[in-house]
Amino acid sequence: MIMDLQGASVSVFPSFGEPVYPPGGSSHERLDADGELEMKRMRVLVVDDEAIIADTVVEILKQEGFDAEGLSTGTSAIELAKEWHPDVLLSDVIMPGLNGIEIGMKIREIAPKCRVILFSGQAATVDLLEQARRQGHKFDILAKPIRPEQLIGLIKGKSPS
Amino acid sequence: MSKLRDSLAGKLTAMNMLVSGGALLLAAISFFTYEILTFRANMTTNRTVEAQIIGANSVSPLIFNDPAAAEKTLSALRASKHIVYAAIYTNDGTFFAGYWRDSNSKAPLPLSVLKTGEQERHWFGDDQFSLVQTIMFEGKPVGMVYICSDLQALYDRFKSYGLILLGIVGASLVAALALSRIAQRVISKPILRLAETARFVSREKDFRARVPTTRDHDEVAVLVNAFNEMLIEIQKRDSALQESERQFRSLADSIPQLAWMGEATGELFWYNRRWYEYTGTTPQQMLGWGWRSVHDPAQLPAVMEKWKRAIETGEPFDMIFPLRGADGTYRDFLTLASPVRDDKGNVARWFGTNTDITEQRRAEEALRQTEKLAATGRLAASIAHEINNPLEAVINLVYLARKQPENARKYLELADQELERIAQITRNTLGFYRDSSSTKEVDISEVLGEVIALYWRKIQFKKISVRPDYGNGIKIVGFPGEIRQIFANLVANAIEALSAEGSLVIRASRVTLRDGSNRAGVRVTFLDNGTGIAPENRKKIFEPFYTTKKDVGTGLGLWLTLQLVEKHHGSLRVRTSVEPGRSCTVFSVFLPERPQTV
Repeated sequence: MIMDLQGASVSVFPSFGEPVYPPGGSSHERLDADGELEMKRMRVLVVDDEAIIADTVVEILKQEGFDAEGLSTGTSAIELAKEWHPDVLLSDVIMPGLNGIEIGMKIREIAPKCRVILFSGQAATVDLLEQARRQGHKFDILAKPIRPEQLIGLIKGKSPS
Repeated sequence: MSKLRDSLAGKLTAMNMLVSGGALLLAAISFFTYEILTFRANMTTNRTVEAQIIGANSVSPLIFNDPAAAEKTLSALRASKHIVYAAIYTNDGTFFAGYWRDSNSKAPLPLSVLKTGEQERHWFGDDQFSLVQTIMFEGKPVGMVYICSDLQALYDRFKSYGLILLGIVGASLVAALALSRIAQRVISKPILRLAETARFVSREKDFRARVPTTRDHDEVAVLVNAFNEMLIEIQKRDSALQESERQFRSLADSIPQLAWMGEATGELFWYNRRWYEYTGTTPQQMLGWGWRSVHDPAQLPAVMEKWKRAIETGEPFDMIFPLRGADGTYRDFLTLASPVRDDKGNVARWFGTNTDITEQRRAEEALRQTEKLAATGRLAASIAHEINNPLEAVINLVYLARKQPENARKYLELADQELERIAQITRNTLGFYRDSSSTKEVDISEVLGEVIALYWRKIQFKKISVRPDYGNGIKIVGFPGEIRQIFANLVANAIEALSAEGSLVIRASRVTLRDGSNRAGVRVTFLDNGTGIAPENRKKIFEPFYTTKKDVGTGLGLWLTLQLVEKHHGSLRVRTSVEPGRSCTVFSVFLPERPQTV
């Protein structure tokens, strides 16, 4: 198991090169006046203390044409968000240090437009959600394992089926 | 006589009679004595005068030797009927002339001669008074007169005086009797009424009785008033006592417990209503040692032994045992009994209660089941987490392998590693759910290895160094799932207690207990250099629902651990220190080679 306690992004993979662009279309394709596709790649910040999950999700998203960064701790993710301004935060919930909900609330302060998607392998998150609700935050948590297609759809803005 | 002893009135009467009779007797004796003395003096005087007259008239017959003349003079004595004999004797004592009242026995009596110079002598003999006197003529003795009289006059007088005295005494005694009756009314009657009331109160136990009072202010009246006041006081206390007794009984009847009282000897003499309601018995059946009939015969000997020990030592009694209800079923009761001591500190009686703890026991059992379920649930959740994460990775890796065929081999190798992780977890955790209804051989080192593997992620995250210090092949017979749970709870506790980079040393070795039981088994110790357990918490850590980790713990972990250890007839001890820099905690589990067969 590879852990990243320094907060730097570490890949478990060899470099696979830049993902094919544009792949199957991105959520941010818009037609400008000239009819050209003006692509602003959507930025996704992935946080999971299991590096293999963060890395594979980042890899999948990059393949789908997203700009994705993977980190294994909340603190490093918040640091990065201050400069990088992600559009979407995808975070695990139960983690050492800051949990996903705490990260979500912090990111919303830094980047109010950022969407927060949480996913967890554990069901025991009801108390955490309740705690967040009392502070005025509403989160939905997806259950792991989640299929990549479904995850991509969610990030693109479709509601989970 | 006995009547005299029993009755104050009789005593008073007897006393009155004795005093009156005594006084009369004293008066009579004085009177009689005076009479005798007077009589004697009179008789002496009379006889002396008579002797002088006879002597004077006998001078010439003596001088002229004329006894006939002398006899004539003497015969004049016939007028004095008490004179029995009188005679004239010559100077030399020769009979000269005589007089006899009884003319049939005319014999001269011998004269007792006067001493020289003695003129007269008289004396009282048997029934007689005698007098001898010298007859003088011109200063010279010429003869002697001898007069002898009987004492009949005295006797006659005594007889009549005696009769009079008897009459007076009789009349006096009758008068005294009448007077004492009146006196009794004044003195003895209030006392008799006092005695009568006292007898009534002691016989009937009715303290409402009172002694009628009189208008007197004497000692008897004081006594009567004091007695009445005492009765008022006793009546007050008696009613207070009865009230207190009533209150006690209604209290004892209203409590949900069965309650009873016993003698210092252990026999019970009182039970509250609930006892009779629950057991369906009657007071007659329960008297003395009757309580034994509602006990389970199998457990009675142990109860009797403990109860007898409490009776002997006077120590409070507490025990849990079943009692048979009216419906024939047994329920468990917690029985507490305390000795009630008298002023001297001796056990006077016992007071005891039996509290039905059947429901409580059921609730505890239900709680234990619930806790088992909750623990299972928590375990399931953590297992889900352990499985879902690698599953997520596998799904992602498979997706990537499909999308990037050129890198498929690398992705699939990674996926294979993750799958191996899942397999490992299920192998380890499924052990918890194996059927634990039967015992089997358990390898302690193997179980410890699995438990450490289960918590490996947490251990790694906190950078805890775990030092296993045991060899292979330490085996005992037990319930594998439960032994695993015991170790898992203790390891989890140690991890919670440890801060980052702490250390946990786990030792396991075969031991033989030196507590007299000589039981062989295995001792496993978990030593962590964490914060230690504060002294105020040490006693409570094995209690259910006690936790210092309110946000994450249920407070049942160590309690459940102890239950499981005890199920294996083992023991669990803890030693801990909170000394800064040297704080540590050691949990030490002893598990016997095999659980005792029950």
